[in-house]
Amino acid sequence: MKNSTKPVPNANPVIRLLGLGEAGVKLVETLAMIGPGGIETYSLDTDNRSLARCHQSQTFLLGQAIPCGLGTGGDSALARAAVESESEQLAGIVRGADLVFIVAGMGGGTGTGAASFLANLAKEAGALVVGVVATPFDCEGIRRCNQASGGVRDLKQVADAVFHFPNQDIVLMEGASVSLQEALDIANRHLCEAVLGVSRMLLDSGMLNVSFGDLQAALRGRHSLGSVIHVDASGDDRAGAAVRKLLAHPSALGGEPLQEASTLLVHLSGEDITMAEIIAVTGAIGSHITKANLVVGASRPGSDGAGLQVTVVIAHTAKLAEPGQEQDKMHPDPTGQASGLGFSDSFSVPDTGSYFDLEKGISGTSRGGFAYTPPAPTEDALTPECREDLIRVAAKEEPNRKKRQKIVQEMLPLEIVSKGRFEKSEPTIHQGEDLDQPTYIRRGAVLN
Amino acid sequence: MGERWPVNKQNVSNSQIIVGLEIGTSKVCVAVGEVSENQIVNIIGLGQAKSRGVRKGEIIDVALAEEDVRNAIVEAEQVADVEIRSVFLGVTGSHIRGFNNTGVHPVVSADREITTSDIQDVIKNAKAINLPTDHSVVHVIRQHFRVDGQDGVLNPEGMLGAKIEVDVHVVSGRYNRLQNPIRLVNGLHLEVDNISSCALASSLAILSPEQKELGTLVIDLGAGVTEYAVYSAGVIKHTGVMAVGGDHVSNDLAYGLKVPLARAEQLKIDHGSALIDLEAGDREIDLSDDSLIPGRQVNLGHMQKIMSMRLQETFELIARDIGQAGLIEYLRAGVVLCGGGARIPQITRLAREVFNLPVAIGRASTVSGVKNALDEPEFATPVGLIKFGVFQSQANPRRAGFGRAIRRQVAAFFGR
Repeated sequence: MKNSTKPVPNANPVIRLLGLGEAGVKLVETLAMIGPGGIETYSLDTDNRSLARCHQSQTFLLGQAIPCGLGTGGDSALARAAVESESEQLAGIVRGADLVFIVAGMGGGTGTGAASFLANLAKEAGALVVGVVATPFDCEGIRRCNQASGGVRDLKQVADAVFHFPNQDIVLMEGASVSLQEALDIANRHLCEAVLGVSRMLLDSGMLNVSFGDLQAALRGRHSLGSVIHVDASGDDRAGAAVRKLLAHPSALGGEPLQEASTLLVHLSGEDITMAEIIAVTGAIGSHITKANLVVGASRPGSDGAGLQVTVVIAHTAKLAEPGQEQDKMHPDPTGQASGLGFSDSFSVPDTGSYFDLEKGISGTSRGGFAYTPPAPTEDALTPECREDLIRVAAKEEPNRKKRQKIVQEMLPLEIVSKGRFEKSEPTIHQGEDLDQPTYIRRGAVLN
Repeated sequence: MGERWPVNKQNVSNSQIIVGLEIGTSKVCVAVGEVSENQIVNIIGLGQAKSRGVRKGEIIDVALAEEDVRNAIVEAEQVADVEIRSVFLGVTGSHIRGFNNTGVHPVVSADREITTSDIQDVIKNAKAINLPTDHSVVHVIRQHFRVDGQDGVLNPEGMLGAKIEVDVHVVSGRYNRLQNPIRLVNGLHLEVDNISSCALASSLAILSPEQKELGTLVIDLGAGVTEYAVYSAGVIKHTGVMAVGGDHVSNDLAYGLKVPLARAEQLKIDHGSALIDLEAGDREIDLSDDSLIPGRQVNLGHMQKIMSMRLQETFELIARDIGQAGLIEYLRAGVVLCGGGARIPQITRLAREVFNLPVAIGRASTVSGVKNALDEPEFATPVGLIKFGVFQSQANPRRAGFGRAIRRQVAAFFGR
């Protein structure tokens, strides 16, 4: 699977997969093994040990001069320095690519520090840059979580889209009793699916084609947190099962993220797809979207299998979320209520019980404050939209307001309490209570 | 104070007339006291008028209030058979604040003996209070002296010490809002000898020295405001005013029972109770006699519930305030209620439940005179104002131009 960097002469787009940091390297190794042909894979790390385990992908040691192959020990600044010292070689890696996936586990040193720089290099080389990142479990500590959030934010400012999967979602999906190995496997599978789904969409010979152009139109310059949902189902009612799985997926819970999307790329892959199945899947997705541009594709998989694979790429309009919102987005509140940060969570819809009802009793908690302050973006990393957004954020204006939970008019009390004799006098306010109002009303006593 | 005519035949030259005026929310009340040579106070007249221009203890309609004050004064003059020229005026309102302050003074004399001038200096220091610019001081009441940390000294003069401290209780209010009743009284060609907070006046009327020594909470349940004062170890420790009173009870009833305010007021007087009577639950009061809707009834249980909740809340707010001041443990003589609200049936039981202390209704026991002036709790404030006047004239013994001197003092209070 070792591919050279020379341009591939066929019509397929040049897809390069860069794994950063230990988690990223592992994922890239897995993807290199199972992935479709035509993807060039590279493993990049500051740690020699991690690279020594790579057999499928091309390896590249970052920071030969500074950490000397010993890893960064969680220091993202060190990783940044390392990656900057190698910028020329790295530019060579990304040169000529049409689509660059940057796969990294956020929260550590290398992935967090190097991803945005690498994305910038790839962007300069003219590629469409998609970040595929995992963020740590809540139990890994607030510092690591904050660092991860900051890393995602940095990456998002540079990359066209970031497909992000919080590991904490696994606890929500599978329950806290899941073993660590299983949990990590699931996380890896999700990330792999994101990469595989997109690359299959582009590389499989399609009956209804979703082209690189479609992807580019959906993602280019968005700087958004998108998501890729990849489900497969088999059996008699495989379309119905796929739709159910799709809507129960943490990234599309209840369909609200679909509603907020600006573009949806839906790709079905399977043997003998019937029109009924396509109609069922697109109909189910279409019922959730209001204004999004829906692109549907279908292909026959290269490998055998009776299953139906559905890949949905959800792309949002270009907006920078405020850190708090971003935090919300990354960590759906298992109770389905708006978290304490005051913003509603786009991924958790209060009335959908289907997904979380299965996992009753899980007491996941949303994370606390967002302490990470990302460094100021460099001038060349600022696209005009990005700059506008930053200005808006700086102006304390809440972006994306209309995408948040709809503001519902509170029900007013039926009785409007009149103050009678004291209507026009100076109110007697004692500790926030208006003592001019009858006590029995303030205390909610019922006269029957 | 000069000559009065027609003059009381007895003690023409030796007795002194002191008048207390309270412009309350429900009534304007004037009490005329005669102070004999040996400082015994005798109430010789009372005047009352229904108050229409006052809300929550403060004047909202000057013309109406002026008329009511004039009526009350005229009535008192007729009953007492004196001409009233000057009054001690009770002031109240939600703007009145009470707090404690401390003054410190080093004793500099060589022999370390504390002299009168040291005491005057330390009190002067205690009076140097940082008030908001629109506030002015109503009272500065001396509590205890401390000499080199020795607490509870009543009179340090002649003692030895290096440092003398004094605790004072300060009552202050907004200058403009204090001026309103004073201007109104002046407009009637009456002098204001001095002003006093109503809480202080009420407590002066009804508390015995033993009660002050043991520790007592006085609650004046007025129509517009509820005032309270805490005495302990013989001195005033805490005062407070809350702009909630009997008017609120009536208003709650009018709202809850859907009757006109005046009818609610009458219902409160006729059938009110501070506690919910278990048997009252099914009783209905027929309002058809004066209601426009025939067969109109109100449920007595509801009425008592509305009243009880309001009064209980009022007591609870006072209890919380006193608890925050850390004084609830010092109230060994319990709670004394006065004001019109003290006439509500079962009010002592309700207060006992809230404060968990013995509760009594205050009587103006420290003065003699007209029987109903002393027995009725709502006259505590005007009677207390007379006692306040007596203390004032003791502090400034009567002499030529006394009235003018007092007036100067008032002017000094407000003349900033």
